[in-house]
Amino acid sequence: MYGWNGKILVVDLSNKTLKTLTINENVLSEYMGGRGFGVKFLWELTNPTIDAYSADNVLVFAVGPLTSTLIPTTGRFTVTAKSPLTGGIFYSSCGGFFGFKLKNSGLDALVIKGRCEKPVYLQIDDETFQLKDATHLWGKTTKETIKILEEDLGKDYSFACIGPAGENLVRFACIRGGDGNFAGRGGLGAVMGSKKLKAIAVKGTRKTKIADEKSLTELMKKIRVRISWNPVLSKALAYYGTSALVNIINEHEILPTKNFQLSRFKDAEKISGEALREKIFVGRKSCYNCPVACKRVVKLENMKVEGPEFETLGSFGSMLMVNSLEAIVEINQLCNELGLDTISTGGTIACAMELSEKNVLDEKIGWGDVEKIKKLIVDIAYRKGLGDKLAEGSKIFSERIGFSDVSMQVKGLELPMYHPDGVLGQALAYTTSNRGGCHLNAYLISVEILGYPYLMDRFSPVNKPNIVAYLQNLAAVMDSMVICKFLGFEFDEETFAKLLVAVTGKPYTQESVVAAGERIWNLERVFNFKAGLKGEEDKLPSRFKVDVKPMLKEYYEVRGWKPDGFPSKNKLKNLGLKVEEDAVGSQGSL
Amino acid sequence: MPLVPKEVYEELKDYCSRLAQRGYVTAHGGNASIKAGNLMWITRHASSLEKLRFEDVIQVYLDKPSSFDALSSTETIVHRQIYLETPNLAVLHAHPPNSVALSFFMNEIIPLDTEGYYVLRKIPVVEGSPGSLELAKNVAEALKTHYAVVVRGHGVFSAAKYMDTAYQYLCMVEHSAKIIILTKNLEKAGFKFIQPKKF
Ligand code: SF4
Repeated sequence: MYGWNGKILVVDLSNKTLKTLTINENVLSEYMGGRGFGVKFLWELTNPTIDAYSADNVLVFAVGPLTSTLIPTTGRFTVTAKSPLTGGIFYSSCGGFFGFKLKNSGLDALVIKGRCEKPVYLQIDDETFQLKDATHLWGKTTKETIKILEEDLGKDYSFACIGPAGENLVRFACIRGGDGNFAGRGGLGAVMGSKKLKAIAVKGTRKTKIADEKSLTELMKKIRVRISWNPVLSKALAYYGTSALVNIINEHEILPTKNFQLSRFKDAEKISGEALREKIFVGRKSCYNCPVACKRVVKLENMKVEGPEFETLGSFGSMLMVNSLEAIVEINQLCNELGLDTISTGGTIACAMELSEKNVLDEKIGWGDVEKIKKLIVDIAYRKGLGDKLAEGSKIFSERIGFSDVSMQVKGLELPMYHPDGVLGQALAYTTSNRGGCHLNAYLISVEILGYPYLMDRFSPVNKPNIVAYLQNLAAVMDSMVICKFLGFEFDEETFAKLLVAVTGKPYTQESVVAAGERIWNLERVFNFKAGLKGEEDKLPSRFKVDVKPMLKEYYEVRGWKPDGFPSKNKLKNLGLKVEEDAVGSQGSL
Repeated sequence: MPLVPKEVYEELKDYCSRLAQRGYVTAHGGNASIKAGNLMWITRHASSLEKLRFEDVIQVYLDKPSSFDALSSTETIVHRQIYLETPNLAVLHAHPPNSVALSFFMNEIIPLDTEGYYVLRKIPVVEGSPGSLELAKNVAEALKTHYAVVVRGHGVFSAAKYMDTAYQYLCMVEHSAKIIILTKNLEKAGFKFIQPKKF
């Protein structure tokens, strides 16, 4: 078999069994890996109505057919589970080297079911798999955990682990996948915590088999040249990392400021990519085999660390009115070690700050109060005092005190750093994302602000539903192959189909690649509907002026969905979602 | 967005549209810039010169990169190098077909037509991949001593103090290239080449 290993490891934590299974060839072709496997396996193995923290929730760590090849950015992996933050299906993609090693161990995916009584970690070494006691790791930060495991097992391993936030079931706890890489969003770290799975250590020596080495080598030459031609990939991301976006987004007046009450931050320059580069930058880092190397290494007096990314600069900078780059670096580091998603943490604290300003909270939390922010972050991770309430995420927190309009989220997921009022397509993408308030399911900023592949009128709704649906399908494919989203600034299904053919030998075409993305998208939508996230949840917080309703109606039509937002029978049939159609039918939705 | 002066946009739009009308650029090819002090206003990456919009002009620095380089033309690096190494204030880049075709056969183009010869004398042909420092250096070096340069298999860069002059140079390069190709074809068809007595 080319491209895939054709094998998954199923771990049942409740009865401590580990067994490998062969994956059906059709599933490989149609769902590819990564996020596609995530939704396929979750759909097969869970009831979408379960509680995200129940033993029945399933965590799927998966790589794709392109993982661990010479194709750039192919060291990534995805994690999928039912999210404790959104209540829907949630995948998160993580860079670094863990995916590369997981693939080299001979597996395409790990499926983790059940729940342990005592903390464990999973060790994978080629064909050897074992669950090991992790009592000594429980309570440790992500950095400490990796350090101890590295000392115990050696540096050949890559690690994925959670911090105290995941252990304490903070609804937006993340999973750390090595040095500065995180499966950040959706609270998947808390799902790991609920299963008492502290970490996964993996190493492997296999190589991905390539069907047509010669074609792949030729394709690779062209891909490298095109990356070097692309200003975003070869200039902006390489020179500034994602922090390049701070000034760009602020100048377009869509940088969320003061919990989205404003869209321009007067001190943006101070926390910009330019400032970062000038004041604290000391080097670049990359994930496995990536010429872009967008990761920053920065140095403060007392620390040399990775980051922060644009989203973090926004969520702890403009959102909280913090104008000190150094303070944001420290806050970012705190979140990374405690295992917290920075976007949701910043968004939730911003919500609390606004409520404090409105005198709704007993506790005073002033805008820009760095020490207070740090204390709140620690309290969230350990669920102490107000932190315990904020650990539920801004949606639940604000609803419980009767001020839900102050939570800037969609489907429970705090919004990323693009104010939707100034980018209509991105507003629709937020509204319809299967993850909730997310920019990675369809990055309209690329066409509405950056001009890749060309610049569309950001204030016009014309053709946006089509583009949103197309980019969502494409994102689903990229997350399933599994490659970095940043390649989307230069490449599309034309290149992806060629790569898949060269690596797997399967007859992929541009059409079948996009159809795979559409299949994955629709199955996620079906899962979410069954989990309770229906069409009514496709909405933005009332704070925003943008009216997405007309675009939403058109979007449903473009998708071939019914007026209530559920995929039509025909659509499901055309996508080959036969089994799923029956299952959904039995729920009475069709 | 850093504010681009309206008159700068109008000038760029005018000359970009002329290049497009002449068929010197394809749908989203070519780029143009104007320098002022430490700033450069340059067309956006993948913008259409046929119909340049206000938001298609990006302001970047000359002496340092900025995050807005992500939005500007792939060839920003080349424009920047030209301004750094020469006293020019306007740069045009297009892909006129005759010049590109000739560049596959010559290391320098010497115009046969009088005007081309007297104004341009010689048009060097250089190499380098789009957006690379190598290309930027080669083009800037050539423009220290010439009004225009052809990048083999790619297109023409011209530079001058005034945008109109840069436009004139670029048009002349293409005109001279067309004359050479026509002349060679006539020779091939059996016509005898007669060198003008006074040139
Ligand atoms: S572009 Fe950045 S995030 Fe993506 S694979 Fe490369 S280094 Fe990792």
